[in-house]
Amino acid sequence: MKQCEPWQKDFFQALTLPLRGSSRKATELHPSDEGHSVEFFSIAEKWIKPNQVLSAAERLELYHRQYWYRILDSLAEDFPVLRKMSGDQVFWDLIEQYLLTRPSQSFTLRHLGEGFAVFLSKSEILNNQQRRWFEAIARIEYAYMESFEALQSALPQAADLENKMIGIQRHVRLLHLPVPADLCVDWEDFAPAYHCPHESVSVAIWRRPSGSSGIVRIPNEEACFLSTLAGGVFLTEFFTQLPEPHPEAAQVSSWFADWQARGWLCIKGEQGLNAFDIDEPWQEKQAMSSQAMSFPQP
Amino acid sequence: MADSRFTGGKMLGTGIGLRVPHYDHILREKPAVDWFEIISENYMVEGGRALAVLDSIMDQYQVVMHGVGMYPGNGNGLDMDHLRRLKKLIKRTNTPWISDHLCWGSVDGSVSHDLLPLPFTFDVARKTAENLRIAQDFLEIPLAMENISSYAEFTMDEMTEWQFLSEVCELANIGILLDVNNIYVSSFNHGFDPMDYVNFIPSNRVAQIHIAGHSRYERFIIDTHDHPVIDPVWQLYARAIERCGSTATLLEWDASIPSFEEVWQEAKKSEKWRNNQLRENEPSKNYEAV
Repeated sequence: MKQCEPWQKDFFQALTLPLRGSSRKATELHPSDEGHSVEFFSIAEKWIKPNQVLSAAERLELYHRQYWYRILDSLAEDFPVLRKMSGDQVFWDLIEQYLLTRPSQSFTLRHLGEGFAVFLSKSEILNNQQRRWFEAIARIEYAYMESFEALQSALPQAADLENKMIGIQRHVRLLHLPVPADLCVDWEDFAPAYHCPHESVSVAIWRRPSGSSGIVRIPNEEACFLSTLAGGVFLTEFFTQLPEPHPEAAQVSSWFADWQARGWLCIKGEQGLNAFDIDEPWQEKQAMSSQAMSFPQP
Repeated sequence: MADSRFTGGKMLGTGIGLRVPHYDHILREKPAVDWFEIISENYMVEGGRALAVLDSIMDQYQVVMHGVGMYPGNGNGLDMDHLRRLKKLIKRTNTPWISDHLCWGSVDGSVSHDLLPLPFTFDVARKTAENLRIAQDFLEIPLAMENISSYAEFTMDEMTEWQFLSEVCELANIGILLDVNNIYVSSFNHGFDPMDYVNFIPSNRVAQIHIAGHSRYERFIIDTHDHPVIDPVWQLYARAIERCGSTATLLEWDASIPSFEEVWQEAKKSEKWRNNQLRENEPSKNYEAV
């Protein structure tokens, strides 16, 4: 990689400094009367030309605001359940801390939340219980994004089950969670979590033929099967390799029937037709980035 | 008129940006739009509904790719993974050309998701053109650079923006996507005459024109793409057509997006301006009366 230009390094550094003053007040971050840092002014003075109506710092601030407004909005939009569970104040504190420590590493804003769950699991502003639950919620919410844009592999026909390597579609995201965070969708706030048993659960998130997402709780035994299958197996060998005790044959058949009906199974390594029922009106948010966004009145 | 090498030999009329709120209307009603522009990064995915919708729209319409993440002005150079993803999408869409922005946007792998301004120096022009030559060679398709809206100028500028745009595109031997709204926005923010800009650019390189609305504040204008096109921008458009001839024209509307019909009616206004201007350019030719 070539060396970065000094002016670019400084400019980017200024963008990632915390929002201040009126720019901050236009967001839902906790307000602060603190002005820009000496570093911000120093970068502006060094590289940016003032004009008749705006100082160098004011001009740089326009970019600073846009940077923050864009990433704050984008990340918040991707974690609505976490926002509901944590409450607005904690949520925005978490989002700001995360973005301060981890600027985007991807070409698309869809991936902005990639490291959010891990960040939450270590956050010092949360207690142990919040950490455990919020991390689990964030994993679920990010899995929706991963499922949304995942590759569609070929769906197996009956004959393929005998002679082809079978796996799980990449859009099926199997999560093993330390707490039943899938329940939070139906909760109005975090209060029920304090009375909820801390049992680990497995959930699968997948993409339906309409492109919309589904989530379902998976019993542990079935989840174990699915995890093994995800790596790709020949079914003729698969059943001889399973650890004892084997589930009942009828149970396994029932699982396979469910997976096939949901479109979870795939032929490993074969790309499938990316076909969807696009005539069905789209109800969900479509995770897409755009260069343009509204700019709150300064 | 643009050299055909900058447009892949394709002549396009009026288009609009393909946006999610209009998907259902387009698929159901199949409106008579000349072409759609897509934001490349929105479809740089492995699979899913977005690609399925795109495939379906491509069955009916010409699609042209417009990117927001190439960042040819990055000091770190180009992200080859990004170019590989772009090339894959180019093969899928059969776009006649692709465009992106004359800007920078990331440092050492951290991404701003913004179109950040470049200092207008000969050194930056040379380095950016070098990146663009690499990109065009790799992508094997005509590439056009769009002038961005900007809110800041650098202390080390050595030339005007229009000189910089021309210098980079000449050095890289690529086309120009002339955004007349961006020219207007920057002219207000930096205090220059926008006609000077339109009058200077090498007209044979202009493969496409963008029109859009913006938000005006007391001391600056922000390029929000959330309003109709204002009259001074239409005047710039008319002058661009006078200089460049009939050019593929696209309306951008990215926030507070109204109905498909409203966006399309706004885009179609460009046909009136374009035809009037073309008639003035060549009175002997029969351009559609308005």
